[in-house]
Amino acid sequence: MSIELEEIAEFLKEHHPFDLLPDAEINALPKRLQARYFRAGTKVLSPEQQCLHLYIIRTGGTETRDPNGQLLARLSEGECFGVRAMYQNGRAANNITTLEDSLCYLLPEKDFHDLTGKYPQFSYFFSQMGGDRLRSGMQLLESRDDDQLKLMTVKVSDLIARDLVSIDKSASILEAGQLMSKERVSCLLITEGDDGVAGIMTDRDLRNRVIAKGRSYDEPVTAIMTEKPISISPDQYAFDALLTMTRNNIRHLPVMKDGKAVGMITTNNLLARQSLSAVYMAGRIGKLTDPEEMAKVIALVPELLSHLIEAGATSHNAGHIVTTLSDAATARLLQLAEEEIGPPPVPYVWMAGGSQGRQEQTALSDQDNCLIIDDAYDAGQHGAYFKKLADYVCDGLHKVGYVYCPGDMMAKIDEWRQPARTWQQYFNKWIEQPEPKSLMLCSVWFDLRPVHGTKSLFDDLHRMIVSKAKDNRIFQAYMVGNALTHHVPLGFFKNFVMIRGGEHDKTLDLKHNGVVPIVDLARIHALANGVEAVNTYERLNAVKAFPSISNQGASDLLDAFEFVSITRLKHQVRQIRRGEKPDNFLQPESLSAFERSHLKDAFSVIKNLQSALEHAFGKSGT
Amino acid sequence: MGLREKILDSRLYRDFIQRKATGALRTYYDVPPADPDRSVRETEFIALDLETTGLDPKKAEIVSLGWVIIRQLAVDFSSCEHILVRPSKELSESSVVVHRIFDSDVADAPNIEAALEHLLPQMAGRVLISHHAPIELGFLGQACKRCFGAPLQIPTVDTLVLALRDIRRSGEPMKAGALRLDTLRRNHNLPPFRAHNALSDAIAASGLFLAQIAKRDPKGELELDRILR
Repeated sequence: MSIELEEIAEFLKEHHPFDLLPDAEINALPKRLQARYFRAGTKVLSPEQQCLHLYIIRTGGTETRDPNGQLLARLSEGECFGVRAMYQNGRAANNITTLEDSLCYLLPEKDFHDLTGKYPQFSYFFSQMGGDRLRSGMQLLESRDDDQLKLMTVKVSDLIARDLVSIDKSASILEAGQLMSKERVSCLLITEGDDGVAGIMTDRDLRNRVIAKGRSYDEPVTAIMTEKPISISPDQYAFDALLTMTRNNIRHLPVMKDGKAVGMITTNNLLARQSLSAVYMAGRIGKLTDPEEMAKVIALVPELLSHLIEAGATSHNAGHIVTTLSDAATARLLQLAEEEIGPPPVPYVWMAGGSQGRQEQTALSDQDNCLIIDDAYDAGQHGAYFKKLADYVCDGLHKVGYVYCPGDMMAKIDEWRQPARTWQQYFNKWIEQPEPKSLMLCSVWFDLRPVHGTKSLFDDLHRMIVSKAKDNRIFQAYMVGNALTHHVPLGFFKNFVMIRGGEHDKTLDLKHNGVVPIVDLARIHALANGVEAVNTYERLNAVKAFPSISNQGASDLLDAFEFVSITRLKHQVRQIRRGEKPDNFLQPESLSAFERSHLKDAFSVIKNLQSALEHAFGKSGT
Repeated sequence: MGLREKILDSRLYRDFIQRKATGALRTYYDVPPADPDRSVRETEFIALDLETTGLDPKKAEIVSLGWVIIRQLAVDFSSCEHILVRPSKELSESSVVVHRIFDSDVADAPNIEAALEHLLPQMAGRVLISHHAPIELGFLGQACKRCFGAPLQIPTVDTLVLALRDIRRSGEPMKAGALRLDTLRRNHNLPPFRAHNALSDAIAASGLFLAQIAKRDPKGELELDRILR
């Protein structure tokens, strides 16, 4: 390779996701590129325009806007555009305009697909950016409007979106490809005789088994099809289809009735109904009797979460849906416990605290819960029953996948299984005579939400907490002191301050340095203003009306919360996809320059509102 | 353009020298030259740079050639080539210092005639792009005369001349070094390049050329005639 082309290879190696490719592959790339130059303000691509290359920005910058003019992204050196076109037959999806004079390298579509076919991490980067699964916001809105209960009965037959597209097994690859392109389908059923199914063929087969192998288009489709595909009956539920597809890692599923193919469903059909699968999962949990069986359903939560995030759900939605499933498991275990040990001698309510209480759970959650019992409770008479009940549920949740709370904030602990009057005393003490240490531990109890049982038992207590906390400046000052112990990872020059050394070297802790500070801020403003909501999103919206935080400040914090949360969720989804255990430790380099600068903005919003908080309430106890 | 260049670039002169040309140069002239009335977008260009043992085309010799082709206003990196040329005389010390090309490097390289036989088909029907074209035209012309009995005629875009026109049009005073390739590239927001050899310079000139065209006419509908030297 000549030295000039080496410079291009060096450039690619410095930029994500090209850095994921092996050296030999990168060194071969420059020879396949073209260079083009655009003056600032040039419209490089517009929707539906033919685009047969992936554009890599060498110098300059561009702006991406959707067909309605909505700004989607600003890209700079080393970033790519034209990604959507790579996944929709070379037709651009958005408007791309240069913001500066820009030099771009153009990678031909074929080479792009060769690389995505060969290197999954490389492919994953782009599929996230707008390839395979990205749906339009419109579809998302539609699915939200659906009547969820009515759709619990959706069968596979209801998911079939169009007539089956098929071709006889005598056809050539070329004919099959032409039919797919004409019909705009990503998958073709290969038939044999009148009704028989010989196999299926997908977009991906064309890429991996034809183009990448240099196979002749004149060969029969039978040479590249998948024989005897896994299929599903139209009478099965959509949930079963999703399970079949996720278990077998396939994206197309023929629907067969009495040995005849009647349709085809794809991951996209299911994704359009994605929010439903949580309903199916919850419904299924409600039928199971064994925690081990429930664990199998809860094990799908990471998968559900990835689908939700890739489908464009907000973190608020995702948290809500994921929490629904913990609630379902909790409620089911309580039912089972009552069946086993008998009905409760006095009324009780099972409370969720922490992230479950706030409805903000993610892929990894432990349990935070407690039990509030009617004041008719007598320890000698009823103690054993409730001990049994709490053990049954806490141990069950642990088996299902919600591990024991490391801080012992669980109903299984005697201290947190008490009649309402004892809880009143607890909160009285925390609010009237605050101690920094105990307050820090108890913050999970200021985010309580009833899950199952006699919910009115919580009402009086809740009213008391809200009214006492609102009037107590000392308590508020202690809470502020606590909140300010979580620092935002930004240095003086707005650079990221990363964790050094150890297992999480050079990462940012998005939970403790991003999400938690905002949750803390929202809790203080809510408690100080008598707001009853516990969900962070609802709290911030409610406190806009009060003087302790400016309307703008609350709005900025909402945006920051959504951005940090979604970045954290996307990070976890990436890990899930790679088969790793999800955590909260993000390497900033794994983000695009655009996302990095957004993240810095989000952190500085938090930092500003933390200092505003100190001014508004004072600070004590640190 | 002076009268002399006008004559040298004329159709009449081309017809005259074509008859004298032999070998690869004769085949080169069989392909009609790029049409000056066509749009720049539809024209194919070859950006070329060369390194020599000295400055005078009559005495010095070519030691390396690098080029890349531009189609549809896109630089096609798959077309780029870099070749060393074995001079008839031993390399002087001063030339080695400049190019870092040693006698041992060129010992197995083709001589100038073989190099031209490879290059000329790439130039046929295309327009030459060079930064300060008189050097390239002078050396290639001399070499063609020696090897194939006739001079070289090729429609040429000189990126240095285009830059000079831009600066004059802007009305700003010329700064020292304003016409250097790296300065011009920086002014057009092109990435810095390391000048190592003929190919890197040819690629650098090709990028500058795209920027100069984008500035004149983003769609490239400009006629070729308007940018020839």
